[in-house]
This record gives sequence, C-alpha cells and structure tokens, in this order.
Amino acid sequence: MLAGLNPAAFARARFQAWVNARQPRNDTLLLTQRNVYILPTRAGWMFGATLLVLLVGSVNYQLNLGYVLTFLLAGSGVVSMHLTHATLRGLTLHLKPVAPVFAGDAAVLDLVLTSPGAARFGIGLKVAGAPEATLTWINVPALGQAHAQVSFVPEARGRHVAPTLGAETRFPLGLFRVWTVLRPAAQLLVYPRPECPAGPLPPARPVPGGPTQSRSADGGEVEGVRAYRRGDPLKLIAWKKAAKALDTGGDLVSRDTSASAHQELWLAWQACGNLAPEERLSRLTAWVLAAHRAGSDYGLRLPGVEIAPADGDAQRRQCLEALALWQ
Amino acid sequence: MAVTGPAAAAPTPLLQWPGWRQLPRDARDTLFLLAVIGWTVLPHVSHLPAWCSLLTLTVLLWRARLAIVNAALPNRWVLVAVLLLAAALTFWTHRTLLGKEAGVTLAVVLMALKTLELRARRDAFVVFFLGFFLILTHFLYSQSLPVAAAMLVSVWGLLTALVLAHMPVGQPSLRQAARLSARTALFGAPIMALLFVLFPRIGPLWGVPQDGQSTTGLSNSMRMGSVAEVAQDDSIALRIRFEGTPPPPGALYFRGPVLSHFDGVEWQAQPPSFGAFAPPRRNLRTQGAPLRYEMTIEPSRLTALPLLEAAADAPKLEGMRVFGLPDLQWRADRPLYERVRLRAEAFIDFRHGPVAAEPSLRDQLELPPGYNPRTLAWAAALRGEPRYANADARVLAQALLEHIRSDGFSYTLAPGEYGRDAVDEFWLDRREGFCEHFAAAFVVLMRALDVPARVVTGYQGVDPFPSDGYYVVRQSSAHAWAEYWVAGIGWVRADPTAAVAPERINRGARLLPARGLVAGAIANVSPQLMDQLRGSWEALNNRWNQWVLNYSRGQQLDLLKDLGVSSPSWEDLALLLIGALSSLALLGAAWAWWDRHRVDPWTRQMDRLRVALQRTGVSTSRHEAPRALAQRVRAHFGARGEPLAELLDALDRQRYSRATIARPDPALTRQFVTRARALRGAPA
Repeated sequence: MLAGLNPAAFARARFQAWVNARQPRNDTLLLTQRNVYILPTRAGWMFGATLLVLLVGSVNYQLNLGYVLTFLLAGSGVVSMHLTHATLRGLTLHLKPVAPVFAGDAAVLDLVLTSPGAARFGIGLKVAGAPEATLTWINVPALGQAHAQVSFVPEARGRHVAPTLGAETRFPLGLFRVWTVLRPAAQLLVYPRPECPAGPLPPARPVPGGPTQSRSADGGEVEGVRAYRRGDPLKLIAWKKAAKALDTGGDLVSRDTSASAHQELWLAWQACGNLAPEERLSRLTAWVLAAHRAGSDYGLRLPGVEIAPADGDAQRRQCLEALALWQ
Repeated sequence: MAVTGPAAAAPTPLLQWPGWRQLPRDARDTLFLLAVIGWTVLPHVSHLPAWCSLLTLTVLLWRARLAIVNAALPNRWVLVAVLLLAAALTFWTHRTLLGKEAGVTLAVVLMALKTLELRARRDAFVVFFLGFFLILTHFLYSQSLPVAAAMLVSVWGLLTALVLAHMPVGQPSLRQAARLSARTALFGAPIMALLFVLFPRIGPLWGVPQDGQSTTGLSNSMRMGSVAEVAQDDSIALRIRFEGTPPPPGALYFRGPVLSHFDGVEWQAQPPSFGAFAPPRRNLRTQGAPLRYEMTIEPSRLTALPLLEAAADAPKLEGMRVFGLPDLQWRADRPLYERVRLRAEAFIDFRHGPVAAEPSLRDQLELPPGYNPRTLAWAAALRGEPRYANADARVLAQALLEHIRSDGFSYTLAPGEYGRDAVDEFWLDRREGFCEHFAAAFVVLMRALDVPARVVTGYQGVDPFPSDGYYVVRQSSAHAWAEYWVAGIGWVRADPTAAVAPERINRGARLLPARGLVAGAIANVSPQLMDQLRGSWEALNNRWNQWVLNYSRGQQLDLLKDLGVSSPSWEDLALLLIGALSSLALLGAAWAWWDRHRVDPWTRQMDRLRVALQRTGVSTSRHEAPRALAQRVRAHFGARGEPLAELLDALDRQRYSRATIARPDPALTRQFVTRARALRGAPA
C-alpha cells in the first residue's frame, strides 16, 4: 500500500507508461530525434567546471590566449554534443529472431546495426538495467552493417517477450551520454532448466503388440539402443552413435540386446517420484535431452499433455516446448 | 616481485622495446598520453625548480616503462608519500603553497603523479582536465606565437587521447583519432571565434598577486643594479607609429615614473607633500606643431603610461581614466593588465615646470645625510673653483657632462656590484656603469651643487627599422636620465649617458644579448637575411599582438560601433552575444526539425501525385506503384484518362526501368497536377 502511495514511485510508473506508449514494441527501430536521448555525463559536468575555472583564470589575469583556449574547448564540447548524438541518430537497430534457451543459460540476442551514412564508433549495447560492465562495444562501418551479440540469463521457463535493450555511446569526448532503448516485439521461448545431475532414465518397455517400428542395422540384426550402464561389455557399445552422442556432450550408448522387439520410452510426470512440479519439469527436460542424445524413441506424458513417442529434432523441440509452456 | 630466475641468470636490459606496432593497445594509448603530458610540461621547465622537472621526468619515464612491460601500478601509499614530499619541496622552494610559481609547480607534480594512478575512466578525465589547466598556466608566462602553437599541439594531443579513450573497439590508429579530434575542434572553431569576439572583457574579478612586475623595464623605484637584468630583456615594451616623418632617435624619450626621493640606496617617486600649499603646476610651454602618433603598450601591470615627451593632453583610453601628474608623467587609474592602444600628440620642443623658485623645488635638493661623503666633497671643491662659484645651473651641468666625457668613464651593462656609497664608488673610483648610474650620480652631484634635480625613468629610442609601420621599443630600451631646474626656464633634460655613450642615444643601439647557435650562423653568413627574418617574424608577431592578444574591450566597443550601435556598452555586447548564441541554437533546432521531416524526394513526388489523383475521385493506396495507378486511371476515366496514365507510365519508367533518373522530374509533377485538375469533376 505504501509503495502505491509513494508519489515518486507513482510518477515513475506513469513516466514509464508514457515512454512505453510513445514507443511501441518493434524488432526494428530507426533512431531519430524522437527516440535518442542525451544528457551530460559526470565527466561532462567536470569539463564544465574546468571551463569555468579556465574562464575565471583568463578574466583575472587578462589572458586573451586563455580566452581562446577556454572558448576552443567550449566549442569542441558543444560540437561533441552534436557528434555524440549523431553517432546514434540515423542508425537502424534490428533484433534477429531469438533461439530458445534453457532457463539459467545465457540467451544470445543478435542485433544488427545499419548505418545509412558515415561510420559510427564506440556504440555499447546491453540489456536495459544490466550493469555497465556488460556493454558490448561495436563500431558500425560507413554504409554498412555491424552485428553485435548481447546475452542475458532468463530465470524462468515459459514464453517471454525479449528484454528491453539499450544502446549508448559517449564518443567522441565522453562529455555526453547518448542512449536509446529498443523494445523488441520478438518472443523468447525458455525451456525449463535441465536437472543436473539428471536422474537415470526410466527403462524402456517393449510395445505390447504395437506396430513393429524396429530399425534394421547393417547386418540385418534388429536392435535398439539405450544409455550406457556400468558393466556393459565393450562389444555392446554402439560406437557410431556413442561418438555422435559424446560429441554433443552426451554419454556412451549401448546396444539394448533385450530390445530385439520394438521398445518405447515414456518420460512421464508420474515417473519422477514425489518432486515439486518445477523440479519434475527439470528432470523431464534432462530426460528428453538424454533420450534425444541416445537416439531412442521417446514420448512425453504431462498432466493434460501427451506426446506420442518419436525421435529426431522435431520431437525434441515439441517436447521441450511442451515442458516450457506447461500450465 | 616478479624478478625471478631468468632475470637473475642473465642480466636483461631494464626495458625491451617491443616496437610501436607490437604494443598492446592500452600500452600504446598510455604512451601517447604520456608523450602529450611531457610536451605540455616541457615549456615550463625553464621556470620550474630543478627537482620538479627531474621528478616529473622520472615519474613519466617510470610510468612509460610500466606501460610497456605491462606491470602493476604502484601502491597508493607510495603516491601519497611522493606527493607529500613534493608539497614539502614546493614549500621549501617557494616559501608558500599559493601563488603562481608554487601553483604551477604543484600542478605539474600532480599531473605527473596522477598518471601513476590511471585506474578508472574518472582518473583519465582528471588527467585531461589537469592538462587543460596546465596549458592555461603557460599563458601566465608568455602568450607569444610559439607558445600558442605549442599549446595548440597540446590541446590537439589531449583531445586525441580523449577520443581514443572513447573508441573501445579494436585498435584504432592514432591518425584516425587525431583526425576525429581535429574535426571536433575545427567544427568548434566558429563558436570559439564568436565567443572570443563577443565575450565581454571585464576587469580582474579580484586582485591577483602581482608577480609579473619584474617583466617590465619600468618601476616606481630604482636601485643601482636592478636595471641590469632588464637590459637583457629583449621583449617588446611598446610599439609606436608616427603620422608623418618620425623624429630622430635622439629625441625619443618615453617618460615613465619620475624619481626624486633618494634615501641613499633607492630612488623613489616623491611622496605627495603635504607642506606645499599650492601643488606645483605642470606649466608646459610648447613650440611647433605636435607630432601625432599611435602607440600600443604591452601589459605592464603598472599605472604609468610611457608617453612620448611631452604630451599636452591626456590621450583617450577606453574604460580607463588618464590623468597627468605635475612632473609631466601620465597615469591610468588602474594598472595595465591588457595591451592598450592609444593615440596621442607629442611636442618635441617643450619647456615645463615652474619658472621662478618655489617651495616645492626644495624637495628636489634633499640628499640623505651620511651617504656619499666623497662625492659631496668633490662637488664642494668644484663649487669652490672660481669659474663655477656663481655659475648658472646650465654651466654646472655642462661641467659635469664634460667631466663624464673626458675623465675615463665607460658605459657597460655589467659594472658589477656597488657598495653602500655607490655614487662615491662610481664617480670617483670605478667610473663604469650604465644609464641609472650616470643619472643617479648626476642628480646627486647637481643637488650637492645646490641645483634642484631628479631622475626620470622611461624608455629611450626605438628599433632602427619599422615593421608594418610600427617602431618597436623593447624592455632593453629602458632608460634613466636626469632633469635639473634652471631659473627662468624650468626643468631641463640632461642625459649623462649620452655624454659617455652617444651611440646609445642617437642611433638607438642597444646592447644585444648573445645570439643562439643557429641565429649566430645565419648572421655570420648573411646579416641582411638575419635582419629580414627578424623583420618578418616581428611583423607576424605584431599582427598576432594586434589582432589576438591586443583584442580588448576597446576593440569590442569599436566593433559594436561598426555594427551601428551608437553608444555601445558592456550590456550591448552581452546582448549581442546572447542573441548570436540563441540564433545559433534556433538554427540547430530548425535543422533538427527539418531533418526529422525529411522525406525521400521520390516519396514526396508520389504523395503529391496521389493527392492530385484523389481529388479527381480515383482512390489510391500508399503501396501502389505508378504503373498500378495508371491502371486505375485507365479503368476510371477510360480514354480521357490516357494522358494522365501515360505520365504515370513515364514515371514508372523513370524509377524502375533501365533508364532511371537520379532525381524526380518536377516538370512531370507539374504537368500531372494540371492534367489531373482538368479531369476534376469529370464523370467517370
């Protein structure tokens, strides 16, 4: 209640609402007078104080060259204000579509800056509100484009609007800070954070009387695969698949000798014991990743959601999306 | 620290230079900044105490080494200790921590030490701003062209370092940063010029310590030996341009303070006497036509105006009141802190002072008791000679001058030190000295002979050749001569120096300081070339002085007069400046507005065509190309719309066919609008 009555907070909220209304969300932003802001930096104020000292010195000692120096610096300062503003003005900021990420991993936002004219120097980009040390600095060549990557770490799963981005510059003299904000319309899908270390995959089960979807290997031998278990003999390891899995950070893969018939792996909400819902989602995410790495067919059962067993990237994406958006 | 095995095994050099291109960017930027700082401090070395120069050099070199080997910066406590030591040394050298000299010393030390503390961006800014301040301190010592050029380089260097600090990506070249900073400064130059011309010049805001008095040849007192230093000072005291033919050099006496009070050691101006009921009158009597001239006086920080003898009327000085003293001096009501230009008239042929004896003359006879007894005895002996017993003052003066001429006196700028009874020593023993010795001895002797006399200081003579019409009077032309009083005539000038060294007076020859190596070589090869070089350099310097350094309130008000302000004042100037700045800001705002509403000319043309079409009743939409519009026109008007449709087709070809044109054709637009108007109201 108190916060609601605080006039400063109220004013700030109104101001933010006004700013938001002024600049609708868009992935592409042409920087003009309307959306480029400028204020002197602390160094700018210091520069002003220095100029004042120089002026007083020149007046008191009647130094005409002192006046020249003071006014030359003042003129340069004024010009630098325009140059700083012109560093951003006219640029086009564009946010490329954002790839989905896991909660807790860094999401990389790809930005393209296009200059219609002269080269621009020393432009820093970051997620709005992030500390200054996270600025990514780039130059934009004349009549060209520059790509910059800004990363941030989404905390919660789900579909989020991409965060507000800030671009700023102090070039050339650092007396003024010019900035703009890009409020992207793009959405960002955040998968649940995979459990680490992940619990063991539930065992696969043969399909009772299901259609035979078994795949045939070179020797015509019907086989399935499963994650490596301690004690598996070397000859059971499916080396080709294992190499692929190891390459993507997975585990060794063994032939499932028992799987001479078709097997399917159900990753089910109920199989997670008595974990909290978010932790169950985490475990299921880890399982989806493991099953995908192992190359087995897997299905996903969540309360209200059931995805039939399959394999491949589409299946992985579908399952992860379901996990990200569940409820 | 990091001195480990290899360093102990083989003696490595203190520093291995990796080569400019191999340097990491941080190191290169730091070295560049250090070089700029070094360049900025360098001109100060001549007036810094030796320890300060040495400390600064050591610190800068040390910092450079740290940058090259990429070592850690020293502990903050080390810096504090060095700073305290420097402050103590400053106090020990200057006996104060305030004032110009001590301030400059401290600023230089601070600047050097701050480079050891370049950790954050804020530190870098402190260095930049200290640098700008240091640049200003140079102008306290000199505002000459070379100093200005050197400091321009410094400003450029500092701005370049600032620009470099704000180009965080990659390794921008120094040249690129230098170009960008030069661009910033050049764009700023018009603002600088505007402010420089219009910013109202006001007097000092508060009294400044007057350290600068030693720079002038004039002063309100004279002590034997003190002018010897000034005589070496080749800087310019004033410039003078005559209307008409210039008088001979021997007639050019620029009158400064008149010193009539002698305490045995020092000559001083007469304190105002309260005893005299009637203040002495100037009683100037002139003959002939006045000589008109224009004069520029360098800032002397004195109130004395060294006008050519003898000026009858006060010259006009903008913003100052000028008044004449009874002893024919001219003074301003405040010290000359800026260069002043004035026009005045001089009467070369003049007499002045009381004609009949009056009480005020008695002050000019006083001699301090107990000083120079042998000279007094010598004078008494002279008076005792029958031919001088009742002689006129002029006869006595001639006798003294004759004595100087004939009795082995010599003119030298290095007479050595004189003791307590300086006149005794000079007149009777050593017989060598320069103007002030001769003038002082002459006045003491005249007073001993019971003739009122006094010392006059000022400048005598000009450089033989004018540059730009201006004759130059240098500080080394500072001179002292004498005046004695003759009943029935008044004060009469006597220049005893002329008796011993007539070339000093008549040809204006000054004792020149030794030339530098290069100048000496040039002078040996071709004296004319040397003179020409010197002449054109001084002409350039004069322009610099007239247009930049001499620019003061007077010129500002003249400018306002030229602009049509009838009686310009300080406030008009401020108003003009504010007006100019506001109109600049308005121009900027107008440009911003225009820039925001700037539309591609093709789009603008299409907009006009679309409006014209809509008035005829054809509905259009923004995304349609001219060809699509042509189809609509044909569908709407049929054959009657054909001319309009053809224009649209033509436009389509202009924009999208191989034969595109660069800009929209205004004729097409006009034709289209006319034809569309003809179709208006026509039934479909």
